[in-house]
Amino acid sequence: MHELAVAAQLLQLVEAEARKAGARRVLAVHLALGENSHINEGALRFHFERLAGWEGLASGAELRFRREPMRFRCHECDADYAPSVGDWRCPGCGRLGKLVDAGDELRVEDIEVEV
Amino acid sequence: MSGGEAHRVKVVKVLQSALAGNDAVAESLRRRFRAAGVFVVNVIGSPGAGKTSLIARTIERLRGRARVGVLEGDIAGSLDAERVLEAGAHDAVQINTGGQCHLDASMVEQALHQINLENLDLLLIENVGNLICPTHWDLGEDLTVCLVSAAEGHDKPRKYPEIFAKSDAVVLNKIDLMGLSGFDRPEFVRHVRALTEAPLFEVSCRTGEGVAEWGAWLLRGCEKANTSP
Repeated sequence: MHELAVAAQLLQLVEAEARKAGARRVLAVHLALGENSHINEGALRFHFERLAGWEGLASGAELRFRREPMRFRCHECDADYAPSVGDWRCPGCGRLGKLVDAGDELRVEDIEVEV
Repeated sequence: MSGGEAHRVKVVKVLQSALAGNDAVAESLRRRFRAAGVFVVNVIGSPGAGKTSLIARTIERLRGRARVGVLEGDIAGSLDAERVLEAGAHDAVQINTGGQCHLDASMVEQALHQINLENLDLLLIENVGNLICPTHWDLGEDLTVCLVSAAEGHDKPRKYPEIFAKSDAVVLNKIDLMGLSGFDRPEFVRHVRALTEAPLFEVSCRTGEGVAEWGAWLLRGCEKANTSP
């Protein structure tokens, strides 16, 4: 739903980093995307492609995603786990753990550029 | 490398939020708020959770103790700004997003042209009604508050964990309707507590129950902001 706004911000960052690196063009953008970031990959690609235009630095750049899960910690079992959606019980003992990572990352890890 | 025409492929580390541009504007707002001694709260909740009601109740509660300004984020219209002014807001600006599902820092920056921060102690920002999109967008606030109501059901923390996880306080509204709506309070509290240790305020904006505790907590935040350099 808000992918257009995110794509516009993403493009601004990617182009700025590419210019800093003296790039001729951006080939790929690697993103870490939490499973709770509520970003639809297809919609983000769609908007990014159109905003990047035909002649921009990031024109034709491919968005690649690494999904990151939400993580909990069970203090009974002293273990970290990635719970299933809506059911956060520890797979070991069935108790409800505590959140360690909300899995809401929306981070640019690196960009692959041609210089 | 062979041939003068060849181009090299290089990997450039970025390691920044995709919303770094928004975050930079938010940081500059935060500095402005600090300089003016204004405590800023971003209120996030679904349509109908009672965001405007909570803000109106808060203003009434803090009357004479804090000068409250309000930024009212909405898709369109100015109903909410009128309502909070009636409740005694010192100043209120309506921000119409024209369809966008969240406020961003530059919209807040624009709205500040219409408000004098020096005349305020507390600025409440009512985000667009939505538990998803607003979570990513820093507005330069001191606190994020997640507001849900008993009428929406006890499953909200399980469905939208990230907003609970990032909030500095959770407010549960419409507790007077708990019995009617089949709201499972222990289930709700258990899941909120799995996500965060932030204070949980249980209020009814209709009857006024619980608003005093919430108001007192907010006022302590305000006083801290006003005494820090």
